[in-house]
Amino acid sequence: MVLHTMSQTVVLGVIGSDAHVVGITILEQAFSAAGFDVINLGVQTSQEEFAEAAVAHDAEAVLVSSLYGHAEQDCQGFHGVLEDAGVDAHTYIGGNLAVGQDDFEQTRATFEELGFDRVFDSETDPEEAIAALRQDLQITTTETERATISS
Amino acid sequence: MIRDERIPADELRRIDEEIRADWPTGADVDFDEAIAYHESLPASKRFADVLEEATKPLLQPRAGVPRLDDQVELLEYLHGEGKADLLPTTIDSYTRDNEYEKAQEGLENARESGEDTLNGFPAVNHGVSGCRELIEAIDAPIEVRHGTPDARLLAAITFAGGFQSFEGGPISYNIPYTKRHGLEETIEKWQFVDRLAGAYTERGVRINREPFGPLTGTLVPPSIAIAIMLVEGQFAATQGVRSVTLGYGQVGNVVQDVAALNALQKLGDEFLPDEVVVTTVFHEWMGGFPPDEARANGVISLGGMTAAIARPDKVITKSPQEFQGVPTKEANASGLRTTRQVIDMAIEQEIDIDGIAEEQDLIERETRCLMDTILEHGDGDVVQGTIKAFDSGALDVPFAPSDSARGAVLPARDDDGRVRIFEWADLAMDDDIKEIHRARLSRRADTEGRDQSFRMVADDVDAISDGKLIGRPQNAGDV
Repeated sequence: MVLHTMSQTVVLGVIGSDAHVVGITILEQAFSAAGFDVINLGVQTSQEEFAEAAVAHDAEAVLVSSLYGHAEQDCQGFHGVLEDAGVDAHTYIGGNLAVGQDDFEQTRATFEELGFDRVFDSETDPEEAIAALRQDLQITTTETERATISS
Repeated sequence: MIRDERIPADELRRIDEEIRADWPTGADVDFDEAIAYHESLPASKRFADVLEEATKPLLQPRAGVPRLDDQVELLEYLHGEGKADLLPTTIDSYTRDNEYEKAQEGLENARESGEDTLNGFPAVNHGVSGCRELIEAIDAPIEVRHGTPDARLLAAITFAGGFQSFEGGPISYNIPYTKRHGLEETIEKWQFVDRLAGAYTERGVRINREPFGPLTGTLVPPSIAIAIMLVEGQFAATQGVRSVTLGYGQVGNVVQDVAALNALQKLGDEFLPDEVVVTTVFHEWMGGFPPDEARANGVISLGGMTAAIARPDKVITKSPQEFQGVPTKEANASGLRTTRQVIDMAIEQEIDIDGIAEEQDLIERETRCLMDTILEHGDGDVVQGTIKAFDSGALDVPFAPSDSARGAVLPARDDDGRVRIFEWADLAMDDDIKEIHRARLSRRADTEGRDQSFRMVADDVDAISDGKLIGRPQNAGDV
């Protein structure tokens, strides 16, 4: 296992026309507290803005949030845009990804097919996403860090 | 440079003509004819009079569907079965973005399919005559409720269409709703809306204006909400509005909510000019709701109880289906009836709760700090002061998506569930007040055996939908 000691950058934002800001505000705080450099693009962020920020900051991960039910439409072609910009980052998406009470496993499959590495529902704690990213980036945590995160 | 000054008559006419050209229905607006129309309406439809003369809190739901006949049916149901005193017409999202073409498509789809393809009533597309059909069909006052940064055409059409109350304002319909509209831009546009309401008022048709108090709807500290209400009330008064309803969203701690509503009325009367009649509106909990209807009714009932003690002039009710989004008309009416039952049972009781006066005093002191900093930033001008104070971070709103606010202030509940400020950032506040908040949050941290951190904020955001008021740590046992 490779031990990364330098800080890692994640790009965070709400995609499309969505203005729900509470979730990413909490994610920004949580990822910062966990030692990541967080570039928070805020709400109403376009695919191109995600790609530009990922390039500019050499991001290890692009975290997309959506709560208004139009995520599938907003994410069409997103991974093509990232690829064209030369972004090689882990991509996660989370929130209320479909309108109504859909089966989440089906939603997960839809977004994995669109190219996302991980798909989270709206009940996910920030710690779960942080743990997943640490695993994907093969970052080990010290005991003290672990204690902070799980407290 | 834009200032808190009344738009001159020729400028009002010029903007009015310009914006009415944005969509064909704008041509049907005729100011003098509209005054005559309002004069023809019965007393039961005069919003400001009905609201200001009421002796106990009036109830109002939220509701809007695309088709006119469906909207009539929905409002008749909420008036008849829900016993709503005041009715709403909630406007769709395309209209809020000034996308009248898309709203037209949605309206035509709705007419063909019978489905609700828009999330509200596209009043601009229905035009003056469509609005009047609605006003004539319902025997109660109706307010326009929306979330539109540039609401000039919507105001021109709905005022001429017979509506006498209009929600929103340049801060409250900007900061929580959109990322890229500058404050200077929305203030300029809302000066027109307020001036138009003022022009009707001068002709004897008092249009009621209601700044949107809950802002981002998520743990907004009362003093921040109240300061913004006072600012928007002042903007409206300058343009000639004489009936202003200041808003506040329930935070769930009864003492703090009652104290905040008391402070809102008191400071409103103090800060706004004498010729303005100031009323208040209490919004039942605007944050995340429990996912089942029984628990949601509990949240709604606590709002009713709070309203019975604080006696605001109006209560905006929630429905037990809030968790899922837009409710059925039956659920919407049931939220009204639940609220009414609790208010009517509680309002004749004398309920004295310790601590309300102290909390109100704290809220008033905080609000005065914010008002002082706004006036200092603007060298006495409240428009410039607002723009500059948001720019410097001296004025801020938690969880604000807008680029016009820092959104750096973070709230958290104290050990008693009152909303305090955990992260002040650059918010202008006296040190002794900051110390009170710090001490209250530190007591909670002690109770929970953890440090003050953003985790508390995150836990608090989910707490009510999870069944509690305060986001206690899961593994802390029975604290």
